Amino acid sequence: MRRLIVQKSGQFVIIAVLMIALMIISIAPLLHRTVTYYKHEPWEEYLALIGSIELNSERLVTLSLANYTQTLNQDILTENLEKWQIDIMKIYSGRGISLTYETAYLNYSWEKQQSLSVANVTFTLDIESIGLKGYKFTVVKLLNLTIIAIDESSIIVTVKDENKAPVTDLEENFKVIDANTNSTLEDIEVTSDYDEKEQLIYRLRLLCNCTVPTPVVVEVWSPENIRVRAKYSP
Amino acid sequence: MVYDDTKGQMRVIEVILASLVIVFALSFANLFAVTPTSPKYEVTELEKLGYNVLYDLDKQGLLPRFVYSEDWSNLEAALRVSLPIDVYFNLTVYDLNRTQINDTPIFYGDASAFENSKNVASVTYGLVGHDSYNPRILVLRLVRG
Repeated sequence: MRRLIVQKSGQFVIIAVLMIALMIISIAPLLHRTVTYYKHEPWEEYLALIGSIELNSERLVTLSLANYTQTLNQDILTENLEKWQIDIMKIYSGRGISLTYETAYLNYSWEKQQSLSVANVTFTLDIESIGLKGYKFTVVKLLNLTIIAIDESSIIVTVKDENKAPVTDLEENFKVIDANTNSTLEDIEVTSDYDEKEQLIYRLRLLCNCTVPTPVVVEVWSPENIRVRAKYSP
Repeated sequence: MVYDDTKGQMRVIEVILASLVIVFALSFANLFAVTPTSPKYEVTELEKLGYNVLYDLDKQGLLPRFVYSEDWSNLEAALRVSLPIDVYFNLTVYDLNRTQINDTPIFYGDASAFENSKNVASVTYGLVGHDSYNPRILVLRLVRG
C-alpha cells in the first residue's frame, strides 16, 4: 500500500515538473522579444523600397499602354522603359539600384467582338546595398471589351482587366460608332447591371428612337485612359 | 508518511498556481508596455516609418494624385494623418534636375526640432508619372518632437 502511495506521488511530481517546464517555455518568447527589441532589421525598410519600385514600374507600363492605345506609337513602351531604368538610378542614387527589362510586349486586337489592349513586361531588379540580385517581377496590363449581345435599341458589353475582373465606373467612358458612316452616335445612355455569368455588364441604350446600326463599333477607355474598340458584325 | 506526501503535493500545486499567476501577469503587462525609443536606432526607425507611409499613400493612389495636381495642402493633410502625432515632417518635391516643385512648404511641427535634433531621418521616394512619363523625387525629412 505504502509503495503504491509513493509511486502515485512520483507521478504527480513528474506532471508538476512538466507543467512548470511548459510555463518556463511560454516565458521564452517574451524574453526573446525583450532581448531583440532594439535589434535592427534593415530588410524592413527595403521592403517598402522594393514595393515602391514595383508599383511605379507597373504604373509606367499602364501609362505607356494608355499612350499606345491613343497614339499607336509602338516605341512608347521601350522608350519609357529605357528612360525609367536610367532615371531610377538618379532617384535612388547611392543605393546601387539597377532595373532592367527582359521582355516588353505591347499589342492590341481591336474591331472584333472580343477586343483587347495588352502590355506585358518582365523586370529584373538588383539593389547592391542590400545584396539583392536578380529579383524578377512581371507586370501585365490588359483591358478586354466584349460585345455580348445587341438588340434593337441597346448594346450589351462587358469590360474586364488582366485578372478577368470587371472594370467598374465606366458609365461616362463609352462611345458608339456607326461603322458604315464612321459617325459617332451622340445620344446614348449607359447603365450597369449585375450579371450571373459576367458579374458586371454595361447596357448602352440609344436614345434617338433608332435601331442599333450594324456593323457597330463600341469604344471604351479605362480610368487610366487605356482604349479598346470592339466591333459587332451580324 | 502518507500525510507528509499529501502536504508535499499541496506545495507543488501552490508552486504551479504561483507560476501561472506570474506568466499571466507578465503577458498582461506586456500588452500595455510602452517601450522606450532608442537614440541609437531612432533614425532607422524613422526611415522605416517614412518609407512605409509614402508607399502606403502611393499604393492607394493618393501620392501621385496630390503630387501631379500640385495639391500640397491635401498632401500635407494625408501625411499628418498617416504619421504619428509626435513625428514632425518636411517634404520637398523635386523634378529629375533637382529643381524644387512645391512652392509652399509641406511641413508639420517645430522648425527648430529639425535644426536641433541629432536624429533627423531623410527618405527619398520616386514617382514615375501620372498621365505621362514625368518622374518626381520626394524627399521626406522626419524628426521626433
